[in-house]
Amino acid sequence: ATEKIRLIPQDFFAELCEQIIQHMNRKIPGINTVDLCQRIQTSGVDINIGDLAKIANTLSFLFSTAARNNLSTEELVTTLGSGVSMLPKHAVQVIRHVWNEQGKAIAVSEDARDMATVGQFVDMKWKLGVAMSSDSCRSLKYPYVTVTLTVADPSGQITDKSFEMTVPQFKNFFRQFKEMASVLETV
Amino acid sequence: MAALRDGDFAALQILLKAPSKDAVRQLCQECFSSPPAALGPLAQRAGPGLAVSAEEAEQLVSALHNLTRHVVYRGLSRAEDILCLFPENFHQNLKNLLTKIILDNISAWRNEAQASQISLPRLVDMDWRVDIKTSSDSIVRMAVPTCLLQLKIQEDAALCGNNPVVSALTMELSKETLDTMLEGLGRIRDQLSAVANK
Repeated sequence: ATEKIRLIPQDFFAELCEQIIQHMNRKIPGINTVDLCQRIQTSGVDINIGDLAKIANTLSFLFSTAARNNLSTEELVTTLGSGVSMLPKHAVQVIRHVWNEQGKAIAVSEDARDMATVGQFVDMKWKLGVAMSSDSCRSLKYPYVTVTLTVADPSGQITDKSFEMTVPQFKNFFRQFKEMASVLETV
Repeated sequence: MAALRDGDFAALQILLKAPSKDAVRQLCQECFSSPPAALGPLAQRAGPGLAVSAEEAEQLVSALHNLTRHVVYRGLSRAEDILCLFPENFHQNLKNLLTKIILDNISAWRNEAQASQISLPRLVDMDWRVDIKTSSDSIVRMAVPTCLLQLKIQEDAALCGNNPVVSALTMELSKETLDTMLEGLGRIRDQLSAVANK
């Protein structure tokens, strides 16, 4: 997948690196690979979400290793030169620039959230609908709740998951969350 | 969407050859639940029991499928409405039997239709656990309560046929994110009450 890095136009590559660093600095909840991939595809580049995800992971690993070892910009660029021999020049330029501007500020944070082994919940969007009619029932009047959960996976990449619930299911769902909250209080 | 056709009622009278009322009932249920594509095999299975030709079995199964689905589509729930679907010269006892069978099954069938209509993936299960993070390689002592949630989501049944795909979505929630979630859910609950009262 790292060969595909050369396909990504420079400005999109810069945006990807920016998002990765900002995620590491806890300024944004995750990296919007899906949205970025769509925009790259719209610009005419043939890259799929799997490849972009791998590239994002590689870059995340690169930046976090550099942060942990307190690498200066020159040290980072040298490491890039020796290790990943196939990185195109414009990519190295972007990495050098991004690291120079924001690399040192990466907080070696004492935060419990660093231990991300599962996805992190980011946001919930919802919709309450009533299905009026369908090919099997002319008059349905069937209420349902649609929920979209935005989750950042352990590598920081954001995905949306949508699903439907019937009203009784929703009531159970709500009850479970209230219980979780009260356990969280008392623990 | 099944519409009743002219030949359907003629085909239904083949049921007069059925061995018992239970056999008719069973066939009605199978014909309703079967998707159009599976009617052929169903006719092949049903034919021998009725001592009819393959062609007659197919016509019967198709007619029964159309009749039962039509009743559910229109939302008919009273005996009179179902009885008047039948033509004048239709066998009286068979008409009454079919109407009774349909009335007995109508609400289960309606639920089945609702459950199998197109929809987004559905939530099928939810498990959760509250943990306390006590230490890590970067922090020696801490007591951070955190919630682990796993949702099991089943993809659209209509797209997966008989092998629905269930995926598990696991995520962590902190006290803050859990409160955000609760706030959103509370608003849904308020909207539901508002809609219910209309």
